[in-house]
Amino acid sequence: MARAPGDEEALAVAFAAHERWAFSRAYREYASLLYSVAYNVLHNGEDAQDCVADAIARVWRSPSAYSSERGSVRSFLVVCVRNEAISRQRSQNRRARLEERLAAMPVEHQELEAGDPIERDRVRSAFAKLPQDQRAALQLAFYDGKTHTEIAAELNAPLGTIKSRISLGLRKIAAILGSEGGDR
Amino acid sequence: MNDAHFGERAALYALGALDGAESAALEAHLRVCAACAKLVGEAERDIDTIASLQTRRQAPQELTKRIERLLAPPPPQRMLWPRFAAIAAAFLIGVLPSAYLWERNRAMQDAVLSESAAMDRLAATAHHTASFRSSSGALAANVMYPPDGSWYVIVVRGASHALQVAWMHDGQQTMLGDTVPHGRVAMLYLPKSHRMEQLALMDGPRIVALAQLPY
Repeated sequence: MARAPGDEEALAVAFAAHERWAFSRAYREYASLLYSVAYNVLHNGEDAQDCVADAIARVWRSPSAYSSERGSVRSFLVVCVRNEAISRQRSQNRRARLEERLAAMPVEHQELEAGDPIERDRVRSAFAKLPQDQRAALQLAFYDGKTHTEIAAELNAPLGTIKSRISLGLRKIAAILGSEGGDR
Repeated sequence: MNDAHFGERAALYALGALDGAESAALEAHLRVCAACAKLVGEAERDIDTIASLQTRRQAPQELTKRIERLLAPPPPQRMLWPRFAAIAAAFLIGVLPSAYLWERNRAMQDAVLSESAAMDRLAATAHHTASFRSSSGALAANVMYPPDGSWYVIVVRGASHALQVAWMHDGQQTMLGDTVPHGRVAMLYLPKSHRMEQLALMDGPRIVALAQLPY
């Protein structure tokens, strides 16, 4: 459901002020998105639930975590949940199992999990438009949850170069997807 | 842009691709730097754009309930004063009357034992009887005592309330106890080990009657 820009701003201001109603409303509106973000990293329903609950609890207990300068509450929460999921994935050493699952899948990368075939093609197409070095770095960061240090080692490239590749790649792919007018 | 600012690390931070220590340091900076907050916000929107195109799943009800519990307003704090007042009320309603009744029961039991001992003495031992003399003449009171002065039974009739018994000696008063009313008669049994020549019935500080005890 699309929301008026004024609503988004009011929610951001109230969220930054740590108002309870803003947290409740943000969760209600983005519950499925946040759960999906966690699930797409962890591939397990229970872990995804714990992840979302912990991420929301952490934000709730850190009143200064979000500021309205940051912009979208939705994007902030997506990143919080996603980073929590990546952190869990790392700490629980699930990478091996994840790689097994990925290896068993008949597709090259996890982005092909996109449910809607049209959306799936959009993501694949956007990644395909990136220069190969940026695509490789970004895929390792986004889909495999690797740190920039790990990516630098894996791609045998300097850390600074990896930072630049990921940063540029992310901006490009968002611009490509955004310009195609996808409805979030 | 110096090292404190995010720069290209905004994308890495939003992707979760920074090491824990570096990420924590940047988070601290993020709380005080509006420019970097904006930069990270842009990177977060980019991540959101990609993440939103992944498979969508319905959030389980169980998760929603967990979040609702987390965000629920805390239950009103129970105030200490009402709890204290409740305890005080319970004390007043329950404990004090119980204590009063227990004390009263104990006093009655003592009185019965005392009466029993007095009756036993009066029946078994030869004794003298002396009368208390009051100025008003409204009071009729006697004291029974054996020749050795080992016990004294004081009986008062016609008193509207308990009177105290005092030993008068050497210009002093030694309070011995209160007569215990039983209907129209009040009584006091005093086991003693010495002879007392003069006893007084007291109503507070006032002497209302005196008895001389010859042996």
